[in-house]
Amino acid sequence: MSRFGTELEVQIASLRRYARALLRDKNDADDLVQESLARALSRADRFKPGTNLRAWLFTIMHNVHVNQVRQKISRPDEVPVEEHEMRLITPARQETSLELRDMSRALAELPAEQRQVLLLVALEGLKYDEVATVLQIPIGTVMSRLSRAREAVRIKLSNEGGVPLRRVK
Amino acid sequence: MVARPVDDRDLHAYVDGCLDPQRRIEVEACLAEDPASAERVNAYRSQIDQLHELFDDVLGENATPVMDDLQNRLSGRMAGNDNYRRGWLRSPFARMAAAVVLLLAGGTGGWVLRDPEPTTVEQQQPPLQSFAQEAVQAHTFYASDNRFAVEMGGEDRGALDSWLSERLGRRIFGPDLSSAGFRLIGGRSLPTATGAGAQYMYENDGKRRLTLFVGTPKAGQEAAFSFVQKGDVSMFYWVEGSIAYALIGRLDRDQLMNITQTVYRELKIRNVPPAPPPAAPPPPEAAKQAPAAQPVGDIKRKDM
Repeated sequence: MSRFGTELEVQIASLRRYARALLRDKNDADDLVQESLARALSRADRFKPGTNLRAWLFTIMHNVHVNQVRQKISRPDEVPVEEHEMRLITPARQETSLELRDMSRALAELPAEQRQVLLLVALEGLKYDEVATVLQIPIGTVMSRLSRAREAVRIKLSNEGGVPLRRVK
Repeated sequence: MVARPVDDRDLHAYVDGCLDPQRRIEVEACLAEDPASAERVNAYRSQIDQLHELFDDVLGENATPVMDDLQNRLSGRMAGNDNYRRGWLRSPFARMAAAVVLLLAGGTGGWVLRDPEPTTVEQQQPPLQSFAQEAVQAHTFYASDNRFAVEMGGEDRGALDSWLSERLGRRIFGPDLSSAGFRLIGGRSLPTATGAGAQYMYENDGKRRLTLFVGTPKAGQEAAFSFVQKGDVSMFYWVEGSIAYALIGRLDRDQLMNITQTVYRELKIRNVPPAPPPAAPPPPEAAKQAPAAQPVGDIKRKDM
């Protein structure tokens, strides 16, 4: 496989993971990824070789997601709020430990804008400036959202029966 | 102490590995005296681990046919792409399972051929196979890159080792492979499903490249040597202690096995705690291949 093909494959796997973490529902996440790839395909000619493919793809997906959310808000009947809430607090896996379940819940309870930043940084490993590009916000806003998200999760987890620290130096 | 005070932003950048070495040292010094901040750092790192535990399974799931199709068309359309074909990495777990798996029993002897079991592997996706997949991808991606092959040059091996050790949170080093004709050109750190990974890159006089990928898989994996080959790319991967290694190159199995054994012996010799003891009795083969002086020129640096 070509180097580009490999990188594309790696980045698409990353998009799928991010979409799942963001939306929780497999079908919704697949829809988001598919629509994003279709959009990327329609704009493929605009990608400059040698520039940041990851940031390019995540930016496209963010824009698609924003549009999807907007459409759902304008047509509220199609997505009952209760169902949406249910999805958000459903753990990704049935057999997850209590610790992971708490983490899952804490993540779902974050404001969407903080959840996005936390997932892009902590799960997908994007650099802060990449996150700023993807979400089209200033880097200072990235930092403040990241800080608030991490603290909110930390406090929530420490209030829910003391999650043992996994790394002790 | 003239260091600028450590603020919230520094703590996050520290957790996310975005600090330059000097600042990192300052932050660590501060953390040593500030238990509250140290606890936050631990909690944030723990969050990273938990997010991976929650969602990394997605990486091993099959993409939908629509996604596969879009990926192929995208790859064909985009500039910078060359002769893309549906690659063997598409179903890495099936491919890994279908590959011949060799176990190196008790050090050197005893290669045992094991039958592949391709049926259940896709669902289980053991962390070690995901590690192996990441190692191959990192090799394929960076070994072919002449400008950015490494993030940090190998001229100062101590600095390279300590930087990568810091990123992984374990003491690691790039073994000396000059006895096999490969010199260290440098390394990089990169994300894996289970945290930071490190890649050391070597090159021989024929410009052939070899990478050693180091990661920290989840606990419970054991030290079997596995061999995977596709086309002219070969890989051995194994676990030693809590650290997983993968050695990858365009070499045949016997050549790669010889180098793997060199790597393995060096790791054994140098990983005896607390410090590399010159008194440790190496096996005779290792003594023959004792580290030679490392050539320094011809080093590529990202920042040049």
